[in-house]
Amino acid sequence: MKTETNAIEVNGLRKNFGKLEAVRGVSFTVQPGEIFSLLGPNGAGKSTTISMLAGLLEPTAGDAAISGYSVKDEPTAAKTALGVVPQEIALYPDLSAYENLMFWGKMYGLRGVELRRRAAEILEMTGLADRQKDRIGTFSGGMKRRVNIGAALLHHPRVVIMDEPTVGIDPQSRRHILDSVKALNQQGMTVLYTTHYMEEAEELSDHIAIMDHGQIIAIGTYAELIQLIGEQTRMDLTVNTDPDIAVRAWENLPGVSKVSRENGAIQTLVQDSNAALPRLFEAASQANVRITGVNIREPNLEAVFLHLTGRALRD
Amino acid sequence: MKILDIALKDLTQSFRSLFAVGMMFAAPLLITGLIYFAFGGLAGGEGGNDLPDLNIVIVNHDRPTGDNPRLGELLVGYLQEESMPDWLVAREMQDETTARAAVDQREAGVALIVPADFSDALLSADHPASLTLVQDPTLSIGPAVLADLVRLFVDGISGARIASEVISEQVQQAGVAVNSADLQDATAAYAAWYAELQRNLHHSGQPILAVRRPAAGGQASEDPIKTILGATMAGMVIFFNFFTGASAAQSILREQEEGTLARLFTTPAPRALILLGKFSAVFVMVLVQAVVLLAASALIFGINWGRPATVALLVSSLSLASTGFGILLLSGMQSLRQSGPVIGGVISGMGMMGGLFTAGMANLPKAFNTVTLFVPQGWAMRGWKLALAGAAPAEVLLTVLVLAGMGLAFFAIGAALFRRRLA
Repeated sequence: MKTETNAIEVNGLRKNFGKLEAVRGVSFTVQPGEIFSLLGPNGAGKSTTISMLAGLLEPTAGDAAISGYSVKDEPTAAKTALGVVPQEIALYPDLSAYENLMFWGKMYGLRGVELRRRAAEILEMTGLADRQKDRIGTFSGGMKRRVNIGAALLHHPRVVIMDEPTVGIDPQSRRHILDSVKALNQQGMTVLYTTHYMEEAEELSDHIAIMDHGQIIAIGTYAELIQLIGEQTRMDLTVNTDPDIAVRAWENLPGVSKVSRENGAIQTLVQDSNAALPRLFEAASQANVRITGVNIREPNLEAVFLHLTGRALRD
Repeated sequence: MKILDIALKDLTQSFRSLFAVGMMFAAPLLITGLIYFAFGGLAGGEGGNDLPDLNIVIVNHDRPTGDNPRLGELLVGYLQEESMPDWLVAREMQDETTARAAVDQREAGVALIVPADFSDALLSADHPASLTLVQDPTLSIGPAVLADLVRLFVDGISGARIASEVISEQVQQAGVAVNSADLQDATAAYAAWYAELQRNLHHSGQPILAVRRPAAGGQASEDPIKTILGATMAGMVIFFNFFTGASAAQSILREQEEGTLARLFTTPAPRALILLGKFSAVFVMVLVQAVVLLAASALIFGINWGRPATVALLVSSLSLASTGFGILLLSGMQSLRQSGPVIGGVISGMGMMGGLFTAGMANLPKAFNTVTLFVPQGWAMRGWKLALAGAAPAEVLLTVLVLAGMGLAFFAIGAALFRRRLA
């Protein structure tokens, strides 16, 4: 399968682990030069999909292509066109930053003067040129993340896959990574970005695919996805008692299309917040529940996910 | 080229680990060094056996009857002769209680009690003669040498007695009158000559008779202590080589847990090539270790490992075997944490089975020698013993082929298991 125009093309990708269907027929296309996000909660199948694209896992069925190279039939060419930034830091702590970059560059076929030049460029780009001789084991988490990303860019890949690169890091480093992604994209690189943070997908992406239980349940631009919930508004409420009591009181109210709880709060999707709010208060009062807080939000991807699945994105 | 890159990366990481370097080189040299420190003076080339001084107290109760010579006095004189080793200092004491007390208080290492009927018993065929040695239990070599010397003396007397009886009989058969005084002189002279001969053969740095082994190829006979040291060091080389092979193969598990192995698999380098690169690093490490240990032990302990070609064959086949086994062993491990105790237990157990820890002992049961050949360590020990004895390459060919075959088989199975697991 060769398609010249798409950076990534995924057709009916499936992955079973025994009886568990981790990925159930996923299909999507990523245009060259765009940032495409795979958004979904933990366990949705995002990392498994990425692993198949990166050549780590063999698909049970279906195929995918990176810059026109099939991951099943032409894995070497596909991998050469691809840079992968793993979720966890995957560097050698006993080697210096420079030695790590040199090694990973060699694994992508770079040699000699070109490799040394690219390693120097990456060190400059990541702001670690003055620490290049220090062992990675002595670096802070944020610094390691930067080298982790840099190692995937040495060979000028046409497509970069970043698997939840901001999990578990401080806000400053997170900001730095998001800015780096945008900078890479501005240089013409196609980025496939997986995350369970709605705001990251919203900020970065040209297109977003929402994934749940191994399937893509919605795909489009941010505006197109928001349109799925129409004029509905999301309201987050907190109550003074067991939230389940309030959920049972509200879930069948007219004008309320979805009710779910996330931790101690209750999320609702309503047609008209002005009309729905009095009904919510009345129903709560009848159930001896006191509403302690109300937060009306503009429609966002969390609301879309709630609308599509009946669950919060971070359940 | 990528195989080399991966191998070099692994080697760089390994040699930056102080612990790894210590276990590869320092530990085996240190253990053998301790043994050398305990016995190494004995392997010196200046003709002396440098044992610590052994003070002997002799209580001579010997009261021969009739015309029997005073063999007890003869024994005391024998042990006090100038030709005795310098480290052996003998003096007389009057009573057994004092002598035993001297040993208890560590003023003497051994008390030799000569009974009253010593001469009579030794010269008579009716009942055996006995001597009592009371020794400091912390001493072993000194008292053993003393017992040997006393045994030589007694053998000499017995031999002289038999010789005098034979001479007397033959002289009488020839019709010549036997003068008992002359006979006694001849007997005493024979006994003295015999004792001196045995002392020279077994306890002198320059024996008059050198025993050459058929496989020595012209080399002079080895000092027995050096032979023991060589076998011991060979055991250390083999044990630590297998230990290093398994420890080095742990890098696959380490990379799997740290995520770098998965990252390697996302690069264009084929998985088989990646694994081959890692396996190559293991082989190079064990090879370097063996070479360094052999060279260092030759320099430090004066061990002559044998013919270069034989040594080269054994080093290569040992490295193959230890690499292959390490890979096979690690292919069955699920985690680094699990692998640590397993490596220690398995390698130690196989080392015991292979006779590595009894390397310096001779005359082991035949069944034990057979059991050693069930493990590659046993074959390696067999080969190194032959090499130390000066064997030609052809003489170790079977050992080399078996070791190499085992290594390749282990490698093939281990590599297949890894590939399936990482698929």
